[in-house]
Amino acid sequence: MTAYRLTSGGLVDRGANLDFKFDGKTLTGLSGDTLASALLANDRLLVGRSFKYHRPRGIVTAGASEPNALVTIGKGASTDPNTKATVAELYAGLDARSQNRWPSLKYDFGAVNGLLSPFLGAGFYYKTFMWPAAFWEKVYEPIIRRAAGLGRVVLERDPEAYEKCWAHCDLLVVGSGPTGLMAALVAGRAGLRVILADEDFRLGGSLLAETTRIDGVSAQAFAEASLAELRSLPNVTIMPRTTVFGWYDDNVFGAVERVQKHVAMPQAKLPVERLWRIAAKRALLATGAEERPLVFGGNDKPGVMMAGAMRTYANRFGVAAGRSVAIFSNGSAGYQAAHDLAAQGVEIAAIIDSRSDVADVAPAGVRLIQSGSVIDTQGRQRVSGIVVERSGFEETIACDAIGMSGGWNPVIHLACQRGAKAVWSPELQTFLAPDVGNGLVVAGSAAGRYTLVGCLADGAQKAAAIAADLGFSAPAEAMPVVEEDIDPSFTALWYSPGAKAKAFIDFQNDVHVRDIGLALREGFGHVEHAKRYTTNGMATDQGKLSGINATGLLAAMQGISPADVGTTTFRPFYTPVTLGALAGTSRDEHAAPVRKSPLHGWAQKNGAVFVDSGLWYRPAYFARSGEKTWRESTDREVRNVRENVGLCDVSTLGKIEIFGPDAAEFLNRIYCNAFLKLPVGKARYGLMLREDGMVYDDGTTSRLSSEHFFMTTTTALAGGVMSHMEYCAQVLWPDLRVRFCSSTDQWAQMAIAGPKARLVVQALVEDDISDAAFPFLAAGIVALKGGLKARLFRISFSGELAYELAVPAGSGEAVADAIMEEGRAHGICAYGLEALNVLRMEKGHVTHAEFDGRVTPDDAGFGRMVSAQKPDFIGKRLSTRYGLTAADRMQMVGLKPVEADQHIRAGAHLLREGAKPSTLNDQGYVSSACFSPTLGHDIALAFLKSGRERYGERIVVWDKLAGADVVAEVCNPVFVDPGNAKLNV
Amino acid sequence: MASLIHCPHCGVRPKEEFSIRGDASLVRPDPEASDEAWHDYVHIRSNPRGRYREHWQHVAGCRRWLVVERDTFTHEVFSVTDGAATAREAGR
Amino acid sequence: MTMPYISRHPLENRLPLEPGIRAVDHMDVPRGTAIATVMAMDGEDAAVAAGLAVAGDMSLRFVAPGEWLAVSQSDTPEGLCRNLSLLLAETASVFDQSDGRVVLRLSGPNVRRILAKGIGIDLHPAVFEIGTSSNVLCGHISINLARTGENEFELIVMRSFAESLFDDLRLMGREFDLSADFSAQG
Ligand SMILES: [Zn+2]
Repeated sequence: MTAYRLTSGGLVDRGANLDFKFDGKTLTGLSGDTLASALLANDRLLVGRSFKYHRPRGIVTAGASEPNALVTIGKGASTDPNTKATVAELYAGLDARSQNRWPSLKYDFGAVNGLLSPFLGAGFYYKTFMWPAAFWEKVYEPIIRRAAGLGRVVLERDPEAYEKCWAHCDLLVVGSGPTGLMAALVAGRAGLRVILADEDFRLGGSLLAETTRIDGVSAQAFAEASLAELRSLPNVTIMPRTTVFGWYDDNVFGAVERVQKHVAMPQAKLPVERLWRIAAKRALLATGAEERPLVFGGNDKPGVMMAGAMRTYANRFGVAAGRSVAIFSNGSAGYQAAHDLAAQGVEIAAIIDSRSDVADVAPAGVRLIQSGSVIDTQGRQRVSGIVVERSGFEETIACDAIGMSGGWNPVIHLACQRGAKAVWSPELQTFLAPDVGNGLVVAGSAAGRYTLVGCLADGAQKAAAIAADLGFSAPAEAMPVVEEDIDPSFTALWYSPGAKAKAFIDFQNDVHVRDIGLALREGFGHVEHAKRYTTNGMATDQGKLSGINATGLLAAMQGISPADVGTTTFRPFYTPVTLGALAGTSRDEHAAPVRKSPLHGWAQKNGAVFVDSGLWYRPAYFARSGEKTWRESTDREVRNVRENVGLCDVSTLGKIEIFGPDAAEFLNRIYCNAFLKLPVGKARYGLMLREDGMVYDDGTTSRLSSEHFFMTTTTALAGGVMSHMEYCAQVLWPDLRVRFCSSTDQWAQMAIAGPKARLVVQALVEDDISDAAFPFLAAGIVALKGGLKARLFRISFSGELAYELAVPAGSGEAVADAIMEEGRAHGICAYGLEALNVLRMEKGHVTHAEFDGRVTPDDAGFGRMVSAQKPDFIGKRLSTRYGLTAADRMQMVGLKPVEADQHIRAGAHLLREGAKPSTLNDQGYVSSACFSPTLGHDIALAFLKSGRERYGERIVVWDKLAGADVVAEVCNPVFVDPGNAKLNV
Repeated sequence: MASLIHCPHCGVRPKEEFSIRGDASLVRPDPEASDEAWHDYVHIRSNPRGRYREHWQHVAGCRRWLVVERDTFTHEVFSVTDGAATAREAGR
Repeated sequence: MTMPYISRHPLENRLPLEPGIRAVDHMDVPRGTAIATVMAMDGEDAAVAAGLAVAGDMSLRFVAPGEWLAVSQSDTPEGLCRNLSLLLAETASVFDQSDGRVVLRLSGPNVRRILAKGIGIDLHPAVFEIGTSSNVLCGHISINLARTGENEFELIVMRSFAESLFDDLRLMGREFDLSADFSAQG
C-alpha cells in the first residue's frame, strides 16, 4: 500500500460511502471524491496504458489537464469513453473501465511496442507505412488502430437527452477560484448580470486546496461564504459543472453543463448535458494556472504526479498520494506541497531542487538537494525510488511517489482561440494571454499573478473596471485579509539533464525528448510541424501539460527564446465536448420541423401514404385494399382522373399575396412573360428567370383586383422565390409601390381534375362556373354553399378540365370531405404526388426535374412566352447572350420506347444508334420518366440536342445504372390531348 | 463570420436568423448596358480579405435585406443598414 | 347542398378538447383568434402606425418596418379585416391570416428559461420589455414573439409549423412540467 485515505481532513463526507466499480472490482469512495481521488484512496495508481508504447501510466493531475487517467464510464448505449477520472464526480454505482490495454491493465500485450521503441520514433508511422499505398487501408491501419485505440465509440443509439440553451449577461466569469469569486462578488454587488461558471462540481477553485486563512476563516469557509452571498443576488447565476470551452465572435461563449453526469439514474425530464451559448457583454477569464510538469528520465511511471495535484488530493480529498514522497521542483510550489503533505503525516523522502541558493525552506527534518537533477526512476508498475544526480554523483533515494513542480502555465486557451497568439513573458518565464480588447479580460493566476492576495485583488479590480465601463458604479471595497501567502516563483527548467531513461513530454501520446530532437534534425522544427511530426499535444488532452514544454525544448535545443518558437494554435474546444451535447434536441423528429398541410387529416382518412417533400409531408398515393404496390394505386388514380375526377392537395404550393399600385409592374419585371395587362379575374402561367437567363421557377399568378394579385410558386422554391421577390422589391426597385406577404399557410388549396370536375365543384359553389361564365384561366372569389368565401381558379396541371379551390386553412378538411362526399357519385378519388407527376408528364408539363438550372425557356418550349417588348425583366439581358440561343441546344422532347414493354428511367443519357457512350457523343438526358397508364407504356421527358427537329428519330436511351439500353422514338412531349380539347369544355 | 448581427429593425440576433447573398456593392446594370457589364454583374465576384459589404437577409426576422459591412478576416462588423434605404441613397 | 364547414385547429391532434390540469408553467392555446397582416404602403409607415395605435380591440405585433400582425380575440377575421381596411383606407394593405397563423401563450415563472432553449435573444424584461414583439427564430422555426407580461409571452407561428413548434415547446418545457391546453374561453 502506498496511496491511502488520510484519517481526517478534506472536503469529503466521511459518513457517506459510495460504492463504485473499476475494471469490474467494487471499491469504495466518499461523497465529494472524484473518481481519481477515490482510486487513489484505494491505492489504484495504475489507471491506463499509453498510446504508443502501452507503458503503464498513473494519475498525474487533479483536473482537466489529465493526460493519463482516461476511463470509460457507463454501460451499453450510455457509455462515455475517454472520461478523465480526475474530473469525474464519484457517485454510487459508477462503473468505470480502464482503456487502451489488452488483455488487461496489468499484463498488456502492446507493451511489446516498448521493446521496439528504438524503431518507433517521431514520424515512424509516416516513414514506415508509406508503401505500397494499398497496404495502408487493408493492413497497416487496422493493426495500428487495434493496438492503439483509445476508448471505444459506442455504436448504439444514445438514449440520453441533451439540449441547448442561450444565456445573456453583462459579465461572464470563467473560473470560481479566488480571482473569479472576487470578480463575481464585485460585479454582482454593483448590479451587473453575472454568470459565474466553473467546470468543477464544487466551486472555489484553488481555495479548496488552500491551507491558509482568509478574513480569519479557512479558505474553504471563505469560498463558501462568498458563494452564499452570490447565491443571494438575483442578478448572479452560478453554473457549476460547466466548462466554458470556446470563445467565438461577438463575445459569444460556448459552454457545456454536465447536468446529470454525476448520477446513476438520470431523470428523464432533464438532459444529461446542456450546451450553452452565452452572449456576454464582457468576460473575465479567471481560469488559474496549470502546474508545469518536469521533463526527466522515467517521469512517466505511476506515482509521478504534479506536486500541486498531490496537495489537492491531500487538502481537498483527504488522500495521500504516497507514504514516502519525493519532491522535484524548480520553484516554491514544490515546497508548499511538501509542507502540506508533511503536515498530514506523509513522509517527505527528499526535496530535489534544480536551483541553487534557494530561499525556500524545506519542512523540518526533510533533506533538501539543491542543484539536483532527477535522471531516472525505479520501479516497474509504480515508482519505488528516484535516481538523483548532483555534481556528477548519482544517488538513489527510495520513495513511493514523486511530486514534480516545474512552474506555471497560465490557462489562457479561451483568450487565444480567435487568432491572437500567446505572448512570452521573459520575467515570468511563461506564456501570457495577448491583449484581445476589452471583451475578454484575463485576471489572477491566469494573468500570471500567482499569489492569493494578487488574485483576489486582480479579480476585484478588473471586475470594478468592467462595471464602471458598462455604466455601473462599484463601491470601493476592503480586500479580504490573507494570513499566509507565498509567491510561487520558479526558474524555468525545460529538461532535467542527464536522463538515463526516456524523459516524456506528452504522456498520452508517448512523446519524449529525443522525438523533439529528431523532429528538429529532420526539418520539422517549427512548433506546428514538430507537433504534427511527433504528435506532441495531439492527444485528447490537446497538450495542456505538454505544449509549453515542447516549445521550451524546441527553444532550448536551438538556443533561442521560447518567444521565437511560440505556441501551437489554440482552438475550441478547451476540453472535448460530446456530439450529443452539440446536437442538443436536434435529433429524431426534432431534427427538422415537419410542415403539415391543412388537408393532412383528410389525406390520412383517405389512406394516404406520405412522402417527405422538403419539410412537408405530402401524400404520395392513396392505397386501397388489395393494392400491393405504389404503381397499382398510382395507375388507378391516373386513370380515374382521366376518366372521372380526382382531388389532390396542392396546399404546399408557395402562395404570395401581392398588393399595390405597382404590383403589375413588379410582376412584369420578375416574370419573363407579360403581366402588365392581365385582366382582373384571370390567371396566367408565369415563368421566372434567374439573372443569367436560366429558368428559376414557374407558377400561376391571378389578378384578383386591379391592385391585388395572387401568386403561386412551386413547393420546392416557395421560400427562395419569396426571398428573391423581397430582394427585387427592396434592393433593386425600392421605389415601386408594392407590398406582399406569404399566404401559403392561410389557404387549403385543392386541385379537382377530371372530365367530371365541374359537376363536383358546381355542387359546392353558389356561383355559375359553366365554361361560358368561368372559362379556362378564369380566377376569382366565389361563395361556397353555406357562405364560406373561397378562391377558385380554372387551371390545370393534368391537362383535364380542372379547378383549384382555395379555402381558409381551418375549413380545408371539411371542404375536402364535402368534395369527396359530393364526388362519390361521380367516382371521385383522392390522388397523390405520384399520380400528379404521371398526369403532368403525360401532358408534357414541366417541374423542377426539367428546370434544373441549366434550362432556358426556349429549351423547355416556352421560347415564345419570353417577352421581347418588355424593356426589362430579371434575366432578359443574358437570355439573349451567345450560347443560350445556339441552334444545337438541348430541347425538351418526349420519348417512348420502340418496344412498348421496355422501361426508361430518369437520369439516362441519349446516344445516336451505334454511337459509343462518351461525353463527346452525348446527345442529351432524360429528366422525367414514368409508366403512362393512359398510353399503356413508359413515357419520358428528355432534353435532346436540337430535339424539336428530331421528332420520329430513333435514339438510344443509355442507362448504365439500369444496365440496359432502350431504343426510343423522339416525339412531341405532349402525349395526351395535344390539341387541348379536354381543357376547353 | 460574426456570431451576432445587429439588425437595424429587430436588434441583436444570432447569425442563424440570416442568410447571405453576397457582394452588396454590385449595381444592376441598365438593360442596354454592355455584355461586359452584365457579365461582371452576374458572374464575377471578388473574395476580398478585409472590409466587405454584403447583402444579408434577416429571413427568420423582419425579412428585410440588409447591407452588412464586415471584415472577412477579423469578423468585425462595422455596420448593418437597411438594403432599401442604402439602395435609395445610392439612387438606384 | 349546404354545408357548415367546421374549422379545425391544427393542434387538435395534440391537445385534449377539454382543459386539463394546469402546471405553474402553462401553454394556453386560444382558438379562433383573428389575425391580419397590415402592410403600410410606401411612405405611409408613420400614418399607419398612428392609425393602428388608436385602434381598439386589437393588439399589434411588429413584423418589419411598415408591417404588423393585428391580433384580436374578440373580433371575427372578417370583422378585423373590415375594421382595419376602413381605418387605414388607401394607406395600407390588409390580409386575413387568421387561418394561417396559430397563437400559443406561455406563462409561468420558468417561461423565460424554457424559451431560452430555443430563442437567442435576451429575454430579460429590461431588454425585451413588456409590450415588445418581434419575429425571432425559435429552434428551427421562425415565429413572432410578444411579451405580454413579466412572465407571459405570446407566440404566433405559421399553421403548417404549429405541430412541430408545439412538440419543440413541450420538449423545452419538460424540465418544468409545462402543461398545455386549449383556452377555456374558446
Ligand atoms: Zn430584422
